[in-house]
Amino acid sequence: MSSSKSVSKPAIEVQNLTVSYGPVPALLDVSLAIPAGKLVGVIGPNGSGKSTLIKAILGFVKPDIGSVKILGEDVARVKGRVAYVPQRGSVDWDFPITVREVALMGRYGSKRWWQDMSKNDYALADRALQQVRMSEFSRRQIGQLSGGQQQRVFMARALAQDADILLLDEPFAGVDAATEGAILNVLTEARQKGKTMVVVHHDLETACEYFDLLILLKQRMFAFGSPEQVLEPELLSDVYEGKLRVFEALTNHTLEEVLQKGRLPGKEDGRSPE
Amino acid sequence: MDWLTEFHLANGHLIKPLVVGTLVSLACSVVGCFIILRRLSFLSDAIAHAMLAGVVGGYLLMKLLFGTEAHVGAMLLGALLAGVVTVGMVGFVTRVSRVKQDTAIGIMYTGIFALGAFAISMKSLGQYIHIDIYHFIVGSVISVGNSELWIAGLVTAFIVAVVMMFFRQLQLTSFDPVMAASIGVPVVAVDYLLTACTSLVVVSGVRIAGVILVVALVITPAASAYLLFDRLNRMIVAAAAIGIGCFWAGFFLAHAAGASPGPSIVITGTGFFLATLVFAPKYGLLVDWNRRRRAVPQEIKEDVLGAILRSEQEWVPINDVVRHIASNKPKIRRAIIHLIRQDLLDQKGTELRLTSQGRREGRRLLRAHRIWETYLDRMGTPANELHGQAHKLEHMNDEQTIDYLDDKLGHPLKDPHGSTIPEDFVDFEELSEVRSSLLREGFRAEIVRVEDVTLQDRLRPGAKVLGGPRSADGIRWSLITEDGATVELSHDQADAVFVHRVESEPA
Repeated sequence: MSSSKSVSKPAIEVQNLTVSYGPVPALLDVSLAIPAGKLVGVIGPNGSGKSTLIKAILGFVKPDIGSVKILGEDVARVKGRVAYVPQRGSVDWDFPITVREVALMGRYGSKRWWQDMSKNDYALADRALQQVRMSEFSRRQIGQLSGGQQQRVFMARALAQDADILLLDEPFAGVDAATEGAILNVLTEARQKGKTMVVVHHDLETACEYFDLLILLKQRMFAFGSPEQVLEPELLSDVYEGKLRVFEALTNHTLEEVLQKGRLPGKEDGRSPE
Repeated sequence: MDWLTEFHLANGHLIKPLVVGTLVSLACSVVGCFIILRRLSFLSDAIAHAMLAGVVGGYLLMKLLFGTEAHVGAMLLGALLAGVVTVGMVGFVTRVSRVKQDTAIGIMYTGIFALGAFAISMKSLGQYIHIDIYHFIVGSVISVGNSELWIAGLVTAFIVAVVMMFFRQLQLTSFDPVMAASIGVPVVAVDYLLTACTSLVVVSGVRIAGVILVVALVITPAASAYLLFDRLNRMIVAAAAIGIGCFWAGFFLAHAAGASPGPSIVITGTGFFLATLVFAPKYGLLVDWNRRRRAVPQEIKEDVLGAILRSEQEWVPINDVVRHIASNKPKIRRAIIHLIRQDLLDQKGTELRLTSQGRREGRRLLRAHRIWETYLDRMGTPANELHGQAHKLEHMNDEQTIDYLDDKLGHPLKDPHGSTIPEDFVDFEELSEVRSSLLREGFRAEIVRVEDVTLQDRLRPGAKVLGGPRSADGIRWSLITEDGATVELSHDQADAVFVHRVESEPA
């Protein structure tokens, strides 16, 4: 796609989206337009509809009202342009499947049901595993990996899918610092290739370092903009209520730190941190 | 009856049951793989029970409308219908109420089964029905006829075709339905397809094992294969092979024992599963037990390093090490072998020495032990229990835990017995930034930044300092600057001064 086109059309456009599982809406009247090539964090307290937003963008949950457009097209008609990295807790790690087979799943969308996987598909899956440095584990069953390695396998699947948009549900939850760095690396590399990424994130302390834009969500959309705009103590106190003091301390601390250390390398100018 | 003689004389009688059994076992086991991965075992059991109503319905319909007795096709169709209705009702109840799926299954299948049983037992309807309930419950593979042979062939061909053609869709919807939906796989349609397949195999399996046991034909071979293989395609092939193998073994076991084949086939399957559970090469209990027996507990390795370090000799006889550790000899020897392999110990004849890496690890553990002792002492633990308790606690020695305790205790220099606690050399490496409260007397460092404004005129970033002695029972720190001035600091002030070490050895 040409760059002029991507400027005119947002990668993801959500309009007046309301989704409910019962009398209380999980999402209420959410509208936002995410420009292409951005790394976007979705933050909000537990049960604030973060995962629902992801599933709506995937077209997995049907909205009660409102629309989701992917690259200008209705989400119901777009297949395979959006890749998904599930939350660790929602995966059956005992499933009889190897690392390489998971990566290969990224290629399923490009095939009709009667077509076999080609050599090229296997090559693309292997290359994706290489990108996340998981090649040596490709024959392992996925339950026999560390938490961080498991996360990287699903990153590889998303890369093999070669989608323009990646949705990640809590990729940083419960991983060690080294893995967090590795995942972040993969994300920044993907951004350089023009991918748009939406990441559900729980940690406010790192939210302002990692993302270009933040979405603050609690059923309704409370804020959408740069980390400095979104991580306003007053705004956060509205959303997080009782837990305010902890978060206030946290955000003040990190904002100071960010100002001192400067932005993450490669964040504004698009150069790689390596 | 002499089964063996009959078998030799009239082999032909057994060909049909064997062919039907082989085909049906294959189909059941293959579908079973998806059923256990999707946790639908209970649902397949429900479908089996609900069949009774369908069979009775089909029987009655044909008997009353056309006068045909026991029309196989109608009974089969009725059974399928009953299965689908059960699944539909379970889904409906789960969706519209707060009743969870397991309860909904329990309610619906017993209800539909009872409907069938009620019809048979009614005087007005029961006179038309000649269904052998005993065979319905334990199966009757011996008496299968041509129509069953045809049905078994068609069902098996259909199942194999579906699994081969839609393998990716079945795999992906079982593993990650959200992704499946996002790339356009019709998840709901695949679910229905699998339900239809389940009904088909259950209905054809009832003839072999009966309504109560048929679920075993479906899930037991699949579960055995699940314990043996790490890939779905291999698991499916293995399940089919195990299913067929168990059918043959069970069939001839029944022959030999003069028993009914249904239960015998299920017993064989269960026996095979239990054997797999124990002997499976990767996930079996035996391997697991063996692995755990062979593993060297980290604690023993730490004790070995500690014993050598505390002896304060360079080369320590192995026997001395063993004597100091409360564990059995072979375990200690395995620990020593592990440590040599990890390059933490050197061996020369019957003596051991710490490598530089082992010395470092040993010192780290000694530090953990002595910090725990100091902590216990402050908590008021009696002196005679200090060592024993600290010995247990020292195995909690990750850096964060020890750093926390060290800071809370005010970075003590000596443990309650008066021995020096090794300095925090893990954090305190050259060029890594630490708080100056970690700086021991005689260590040189360069100031990186000072966060306490009251100190900023005396301590400037870039200046070299020398750690001075602690005073006031160790709660006052001192830093000696290059021009010889001594700056006294409280714990908080020392924490506010960030330094990095410039020499690795104390001056």
